[in-house]
Amino acid sequence: MATTHTLLSPAELNYLHTSLSLRPPIRSDGRLPTQFRPLTAETGILQGTNGSACVTFSDGAEAIVGVKAEIEKTPDAQSGDEDKGKKARGDWVEISVEIPSQRDDDAGTIFLGEMLREALLGDGEFAKKLWINRRFHWRLHIDILLLSPALSYPLPLLSLTTHLALLATRLPKLKSEGDEDPMFDDDWESSVFVYPREGASEGTRPPITLLVVTVGDNVIFDPSKEELAVAETALAVSVAEVRREKSRGEMEVDTKGRELKLLSIRTIDPPSRLTPPGVPNGTATATDGKPASNLASETPVAGVWKAPLGGTKFSVVDGIVQAVLEKGGVADEVLDGLDGVELA
Amino acid sequence: MADRRRINGPGGTTLPPLYDDDPLPRPTRSREPNGVRPVYLKTGVTPSASGSAYLEVESRNGAPTTGMKLSCTVHGPRSLPRSAPFSPHMVLTTHVKYAPFATKSRRGYLRDASERDLSTHLETALRGVLIADRWPKSGVDVVVTIIEGEEARQFAVDQGSEEWDMMNVLSACITVAAAAVADAGIDCVDTVSGGVAALVSMSGDGKSEIVLDPVATEHDEILAACCVAYLPSRDEITNLWLKGEVSSSDPSLYRTLIARAVHASKGTSQAIVGSLNEAVTGA
Repeated sequence: MATTHTLLSPAELNYLHTSLSLRPPIRSDGRLPTQFRPLTAETGILQGTNGSACVTFSDGAEAIVGVKAEIEKTPDAQSGDEDKGKKARGDWVEISVEIPSQRDDDAGTIFLGEMLREALLGDGEFAKKLWINRRFHWRLHIDILLLSPALSYPLPLLSLTTHLALLATRLPKLKSEGDEDPMFDDDWESSVFVYPREGASEGTRPPITLLVVTVGDNVIFDPSKEELAVAETALAVSVAEVRREKSRGEMEVDTKGRELKLLSIRTIDPPSRLTPPGVPNGTATATDGKPASNLASETPVAGVWKAPLGGTKFSVVDGIVQAVLEKGGVADEVLDGLDGVELA
Repeated sequence: MADRRRINGPGGTTLPPLYDDDPLPRPTRSREPNGVRPVYLKTGVTPSASGSAYLEVESRNGAPTTGMKLSCTVHGPRSLPRSAPFSPHMVLTTHVKYAPFATKSRRGYLRDASERDLSTHLETALRGVLIADRWPKSGVDVVVTIIEGEEARQFAVDQGSEEWDMMNVLSACITVAAAAVADAGIDCVDTVSGGVAALVSMSGDGKSEIVLDPVATEHDEILAACCVAYLPSRDEITNLWLKGEVSSSDPSLYRTLIARAVHASKGTSQAIVGSLNEAVTGA
C-alpha cells in the first residue's frame, strides 16, 4: 500500500477532502457516492483454462483471471473417519496475484491475495465443491493478473474479475463412482459448472469484495486514487449472495433484493496517513519565535491539510457494513451488473 | 513466495513420536466464555534495541496446548538512508517472523505468505497510533519474532486450525509491538492493544456461542473470528479483521463479534499499562 504514492500537494488534498465531506459529497469524477466506475466484462477469453474472465474499468484498469484445475491425491486418506463425510481443506485453492511494477513477494500483493482467498473460503462451502472422493480432490489455481499499471487500489477490479472467472469455471464431468480412481467425461460440452447456473442453484455464490472509504461522515464506494488519498478509513468488505431453494408458492414474489452474507472485513491502511501536512499561514517558523516541533501537531486549522491520526470509531465501521449489506444497495447493483455478463 | 535462488529441500513436518496406546484427552475450554488468558508482558528486554518487549500468553498447568511466546524489538527512529526519497513522516516497516521451531511444521528462514500478511496487518494497526509527522525523514523498524506459536503438540494430523490461530498471533503481535513502541519512547496517540473474539459451535447441541480469546483446538469448530486493534482512551479501532461465516439470519451478529473483541482487547491493554508503569517506577 505504501508504494502507491500520490503526488498531491497539501492544498489539493484539502480541496479534495472538503468537497468529499460535503453533504452530498462532490466527487472529482462526478459520480454518486455509491456509484461504481463503468466496466466492460468478458468471460471465457482463455482457451487453456477451466474458466477465465477479463474486466476493464473505464479509467483503463484491466485485469485477467485464469482458473486452472488439476487432480491431486488427498494425503492420509484414512478409512477410519468415514463419518466425517466430505472433509475439505482451504489449501486446495491457490491464489496468486501479479501486479506490474511490484515484486510478487511484496507484502501488499500478498495481502490482496490473502484477502480474496479468505473471502472465497469464508464459509467453508467452496472447498467442498472441490471434493471428488475420499482419495482425490481438485486443486484450483486462480491466477490474477493486473494488465494496466495500478491506477488506484486494484482490489475491487481483481475481486470482480475473480468473481466472473469462478462463475465461468467448468470442471469435467465425473464418470467413475465411489472411491475409484476418478475418470472423467472427455466431452467439454458436458462439463459441469463449479457454481451451478440458474435453475438448481442453491448455496453461496462467489464473493465480491468492495472497497469502501469514509471521508468526514460520508461513506464512499469504489474510491479513485485521489479519493483514497484523503480517506480517513478504508475497509474491504467481502459479501456473497446466498441463494435458497424457492418453494412453489414464492415464485411470483418480488425477487428484488438478494440475501447477502458477510464473509470478511479487513482494514486497509489508507495512504492518506503518508501524505505531507500543510503548514498554517500564521505559524511559519520564520515569523514566529516558537520551534517548529511545537507547532507540528497542534489542533488542526480549518483549511489546512493534515494527515488523519488514530483509528476509526465503531459506529463508522458499523455504518460502512450497513451500507454494504443494505438491500438494493451497492452490492446488489454490482451483482446485477455482473449477472448480465454472458458466461462463455 | 518460494526461494528461487537456492535449491531447498522439501519443507517437511517434524513431529514428535506418538504412541497409540495413550491418547491424550482433547483439550477443553475451562475458562468462562468471557475469560481472557493471563499474559506476562515485560518491556526493555533487548538492550541493543531502542525499545523491546516480551509477551507470554500462559497455558494452564499440564495443559496439552502450548501458550504463545513473542518478542518484539523496535529499532529507531533513525535517519533514512541517503538513497531513500524524502518522507514528511516517519517510515514504518514491520516484520513478523515465526522462529523455525515455533510451529509443528518447520518455518523456513524466508518469510512466507502468512507472515507477510500478518506484518501488513500489524503495520495498519500501528500506523494509526504513531504520531508520525514528528519524525520527518526518519524510519523505524518493528520486528516481531514468534518464539512459540500456539499449537497443540499431541495431534498428529493438523486440523486446519492454523488460519484461526493467526488471529490470536496477530492480536499478540499488536500488543507486544505497542509495548515495545512505548518502550522506545516514540510518540503515540494511545497504546494500542489486540483482542480476539470468535463464534464457536457448541459440542452438544448445534448452538453457537461467542467466546473471547479462543484457542482453536479447544473448540469443535470455529465459525467466525474477529481480531481488533483498539485504542482504549480514544475508543477507536485501528485495525479490524473479521472473517468466517457470520450467519445471515442474525444481521447484527458481526456487531456483537466486534464488540466482544474490543472487550477482550481492554483486558490486554491493562497488561500493557501495568508493565509500562512497572518499567517507569522501576519496581
